[in-house]
Amino acid sequence: MNLPLQEQETPVPQWEEELAKVGFVRRLLRARKWYGADWWFVAISSVMVLGFIVVALFPQWFAPYGPHEQDGPRFLAPGDQPDLPLLIVRADSGFTSLEDLATGPDSEVSRPPIAVVRGAPTAGSLREQAALIDDELQDADTGMRLRPNIQRFDTVEEVLQSVQDGESFAAVMSSVQFEEVADQFPDLEAPTDISGGVASAGDFTLGTNQIGQDVLSRLIWGTRIALIIGFSSSLVALFLGVPLGLVAGYAGGKVDRIMTVFMDSLYAFPGLILAIAITAVLGPSVLNVIIAIAVLYIPTYYRIVRGQTLSVKQEVYVEAARSIGAKAGTILRRYIYPNVIPSVSIIFSVNIADAIITGAGLSFLGLGLPPSTADWGIDIARGQEFIQNAWWLVTFPGLAIMLVVLAFTMLGEGLTEILNPKLRDR
Amino acid sequence: MSPLAIIFLIIGIPALIGLAYIFVRGSAGLRRYILTRIGLLIPMVFILASLVFFVMRVLPGDPVRSSLGPKGSAETVARMREQLGLDDPLIVQYGNFLVDIVTLDFGNSLTGGRRPIVDEMSERFPATLELVIPAAAFALAIGIIGGTLAAARRKRPLDYALRLYSVAIYSIPVFWLGLMGQLVFGVRLGWTPIAGRIDPVIGTTLERTTNILWLDAIISGNWPALWSSLSHLVLPVVTLGLILSGVFLRLTRVNVIETLQMDYIGAARARGIRERIVIGGHALKNAIIPVITLLGLQVAILLAGAVLTETVFSWPGMGQYLVQRISSRDYTAVQSVITMFAMLVALISLAVDIIYSLVDPRVRY
Amino acid sequence: MANPDILYSIRNLTVEYQTRHGVVKGVDDVSLDIRRGEILGLVGESGSGKSTLGKAMMRLRNGSARITAGELWFDGQDLMKLSERQMRDLRGSRLGMVFQDPMTSLNPVQRIVEHLAETMLTHEPEWTEEEARERAENLVERLGIRRERVKDYPHQMSGGMRQRVMIALALALNCDLVIADEPTTSLDVIVEAKFLDLLKELRDEFNLTILLITHNIGVVAEVADRVAVMYAAKLAEIGNVNDVFEKPLHPYTEGLLKSVPNIELDSGALYKMQGSPPDLSSPPSGCRFHPRCPYMMEEVCPVYEPPFERPEGASEDCRVACWLHHPHPQKVAIGA
Repeated sequence: MNLPLQEQETPVPQWEEELAKVGFVRRLLRARKWYGADWWFVAISSVMVLGFIVVALFPQWFAPYGPHEQDGPRFLAPGDQPDLPLLIVRADSGFTSLEDLATGPDSEVSRPPIAVVRGAPTAGSLREQAALIDDELQDADTGMRLRPNIQRFDTVEEVLQSVQDGESFAAVMSSVQFEEVADQFPDLEAPTDISGGVASAGDFTLGTNQIGQDVLSRLIWGTRIALIIGFSSSLVALFLGVPLGLVAGYAGGKVDRIMTVFMDSLYAFPGLILAIAITAVLGPSVLNVIIAIAVLYIPTYYRIVRGQTLSVKQEVYVEAARSIGAKAGTILRRYIYPNVIPSVSIIFSVNIADAIITGAGLSFLGLGLPPSTADWGIDIARGQEFIQNAWWLVTFPGLAIMLVVLAFTMLGEGLTEILNPKLRDR
Repeated sequence: MSPLAIIFLIIGIPALIGLAYIFVRGSAGLRRYILTRIGLLIPMVFILASLVFFVMRVLPGDPVRSSLGPKGSAETVARMREQLGLDDPLIVQYGNFLVDIVTLDFGNSLTGGRRPIVDEMSERFPATLELVIPAAAFALAIGIIGGTLAAARRKRPLDYALRLYSVAIYSIPVFWLGLMGQLVFGVRLGWTPIAGRIDPVIGTTLERTTNILWLDAIISGNWPALWSSLSHLVLPVVTLGLILSGVFLRLTRVNVIETLQMDYIGAARARGIRERIVIGGHALKNAIIPVITLLGLQVAILLAGAVLTETVFSWPGMGQYLVQRISSRDYTAVQSVITMFAMLVALISLAVDIIYSLVDPRVRY
Repeated sequence: MANPDILYSIRNLTVEYQTRHGVVKGVDDVSLDIRRGEILGLVGESGSGKSTLGKAMMRLRNGSARITAGELWFDGQDLMKLSERQMRDLRGSRLGMVFQDPMTSLNPVQRIVEHLAETMLTHEPEWTEEEARERAENLVERLGIRRERVKDYPHQMSGGMRQRVMIALALALNCDLVIADEPTTSLDVIVEAKFLDLLKELRDEFNLTILLITHNIGVVAEVADRVAVMYAAKLAEIGNVNDVFEKPLHPYTEGLLKSVPNIELDSGALYKMQGSPPDLSSPPSGCRFHPRCPYMMEEVCPVYEPPFERPEGASEDCRVACWLHHPHPQKVAIGA
C-alpha cells in the first residue's frame, strides 16, 4: 500500500503572521482576491481621487479657458456653435476673405457695397473688422484701402438676394441666419468668418454662462477651490481633533468629561448652520471657510480617537507596559497611535467629501467665498435664476460636486469594509 | 394664540403624558436613564447658545454698524449700541443673554421692520416642521427597507447596487437635487409647482390656525387648499428625504449585518425559523435600536438640509429666515434663530432617547 | 444504513472553509454513528473540528464552511439530499441544538415565551397562540423554572436558567436528537452539575439522544455512554466511556486524561502535552498527532495516515486511528 509522501511544512503560528501584516498598505494590496468587489470600490475611487487631485493642481492643462475669461457668447447651450459673423459671397466671385474686398486707386469701385441685415449686431462687427483691416493696409502703404459701403436691408433674404444679383459684393450675417436660408441661394457660399478664420467655432463644449464664460473651464478651475477647502479643513480638524481625543481618552476623569460634553454638543448641532454663523461673522474669504468647516469636524475626530484610546487603554498589554514604568508618551506612541490610524484615515476620506459638500452649500447660499471665486456652489447659485432657459449652468457644476464627493466617499466606504474586522466573514 | 404656542401644545401635551407614564410604570433604571438624558440636555443648549453668543461678540466686526450700513450716523450707531447693551462689559451682556434665553425673550429684529423675533419665528417654525418631519419619515422608510435588503443579500449585486445608491445619493448636494427636481418635474413636465408652500391665490382663502397648512386646510374643510399645500410639499419633502435615505440605508445595513452575526440568529435558524422572519423579525428588531439612537444625530443633517431646501424652494421656514437675516446682517435675529435651533436639536435628542429607552427592553427592565 | 438502533449516521464527512491561506478542512473524512437513546460525548481541543461537525450535522450556515463530501443519514434519510426547506422543517422539530453561551443565543428583545411559541408555531401552524403559550409554560416548569418567568426577557434570568431555556427550546417539539455544543462552558461548576443531571433525566424520560460536544472530559465522564475523541479535524478514538477512560488507546486521549488535575495522584507537577494543535491549513503529514506523540514510530507515523479501525481484541464498540494498535505497522512501512 503506497501512500503518497506529504510535504511537511513548519507551521507558522497565526499571531506571528498577523503581526507581520500590520502595514496596512501591504494588507490592502494583498486583499484583492479576498475582498472581491469591495477592492474594486476602493481601487476605482482611488483612481478618481488621484485624477481630481491632478486636475486641481494643474487646471491649466485641462481647461481650454481661464476661469474669468469671457470669451464666448452668452448662454450658449452645450454642443451648440457660437454665432459667427460670416462673410457671404458669390461662389464665382473669387473672394475668399474680407481682405479681398480691399480697393486701390485703380479699382472700379472705391467703396465696395456689403449687405447686412438692418439692426443686426453683425453690422457692428463688420465695421470693427473692416476698420482693423483698413488700418493695417494703411500701415502697409500699398495704396489699398478697405472702406465698405454698408447696405442695409430688412430681411435676410433681401440681403442674400442682393449678393446673388451682384448688387453687393458680399454680405455679412450670423452663421445661424445664413444656415436657415442657405438652400435658397445655391450660388452663394461662406468661405470664412470676417476675421479670416475658417468658419468654425471656438470650443465651448459645455456651453457658456450668462457673462460668456466657458462652463467646462469653470468646472475644471472650480476643482481647485473645492479640493483646497476639502483637504485643508479636514487636515485642520484632524490636527486639532486627534490630539484632543488622545488626551481625553488617556487622561480620563474631569478633563475627559468636560471636553466630551462640549464636543458632543458641537457634534449634535447642524453643521451647516454653525458654519453659516461662523462665516457670517468672520466675513467672506477662503481661510474663514476653512476655519468654519474645520470647527465642524473636530468633534468627529475627537470622538473616534477618544473611543479607540479608551478601549486600547484597557487592553492588558497596555497595563503591562505601564506596570514596567513606560511613560505616557511612549504608550501613546507605541500602542494607541497605531491602532488609531486606520479609523482616522477612513474618517479623513469621508470628511473631505463632507467638507466639499458643506462648502458648496455655503457658497450656494452666497456666504463664505468672495463672489469672484471660481466655485461650483457660486456657479449654481448664479445659474439658478436662468434654470428654465439655460439648464446647463446648474446641471454641470452640480454633477461635478457629486462626482468628487462620490469619489472620496467611495474611498472611505471601501476602506471601511476592508479594514473593519467586524464586518468580515468569519 | 400664536401658531408656535399651538404647535408646542400639540407636541408638548402628549410628550408630557408619555413622560409621566414612563416615570410611573417604568423601573428605577429607566427613571434614572431619562433623568440623566434631561440633565444633559440643559448643558448642551447652554453650551451651544453661549458658543453663538461669543462667536457673535468676540470676533471682529461691529454688528450694529454693518446692519445700519452707510446710512447710520455715529449717533444712531451709538444709540443702538446702548439700547442693545453692546457697550456693557461682556459678563453683564452674557448674564442678560442667559436670562433672555430662559425667558424666551428674543428681542426684536435689527432690520426690516423691527418686529419681535418671536413672532417671526412662530410663523416660520411650523413651515420647517411641515417639511422636516415627512422628509425624515420618508428617509427612514427607504433607508430601513433598503438597508435590510442589502444586508440580507450581502455581497450580491443588489447589495452593491444599494450601497452605491446610498453613497451616491449622499454625494448629491441637496440644493442641486432640488433644482434638478424643479427643472424636470416642475418646468419640463409641469407635474408639480416649484416654489412656495401654497398657491398664492388659494392661500388667501385659507384660515391659518396652526400654520401647518394642510392641517389648517383639513380643519377648515378647505379642499383646494389641502390639495395645493400637499402638491407644494411633494418636491421639497422628496428631495430632502432622498438625500437622507442614503445615510439611514448605510446605517441600517451595517447594523443588520452585525446583528446577523450574533449567536441568537444562528440559534433561531437552528430551530427552523424561516429566513424571512429571522431577518425581518429577529435581526431587524435588534438592529433598529442602534439606528434609532443615531437618528438623533441625523437630525442635525436634516436641519442643515432643510436650510438649503428652503432656500431652493422659497419655502418660508426657519432655514430661509436664517439665511435672509444673515444677508441683512441682522445679528440679533441670527443669534436667536441659532439658539432656537440648538433647543430644537436638544429636544429632539431627548425625544429619541426616550423612544430608545422604550424600545430596548434591556433599558426598560 | 437501515439499522434501527442508529439514529444518526455520519459517513465520510468533509467540511471545508475559506481562509486567507486557502481552503481548510475543518472536518476531514469523519464517520460516526449515534445510537438511539445514548449520550455520545464528542471531545477535542478548540479547533479540532467538533463544533464544525455539530453544525454540519444540521446543515447550518457556518461562515464560509461547505460540506464537500460525505453523507448524513438521519433516521433513514440522507440529509444531503434534502432541500433547504425540508431541512428547515427538521430543525427545531426533530433535530435540536443547544448552544454554548445562552446569553448570546437568546434574542435580547424577545421574551422567553415568545422564543418557545415561535418555534412551536413555525413547525405546527395549526396550534393556536394560547396552546403554544400553555405548552411553553408547562415545558419550563418541567425543567425546573417557575411558570411566570416565561414572560421574562433573557437578561432577567440567571445563566443556569437560560441554559435550561435552551434545552426547552430543543424539547419544544420533542426533538429526537439534541446536539449540545459546549453547553456548560459558560456555567459554574454547581450549575453545571445540575445541568448534567437534567440531561440524564431527560434522556431517561424522553428517550432523548444527545450528542454532547465539549472540550471538558470531566463532563463527558459524568454523563456520556460512549465518547469520541477528535483531533485536527479527524477522529482519533471512539468507544465505551468506561473503556476509554480506564484504558485509552490513542496517545492523544491518554494525554488528555493525564492533563486533568487529579487530587488523588501524588505527583506535584501538572502534566502537559508537548507541542500545540496543528494549523489546519497545512496539517502534519501522516498521522496528524505525530509531532506531539511520545510513542511516535519514525518509519510509519510521519509518513502514513493510520486507518480508523477496531484493534485486535478490543470490544465491538471500539475504534482508534493509531499505528500502535495496528497489527502490522512494519508491513505498511515497507509497502506491502
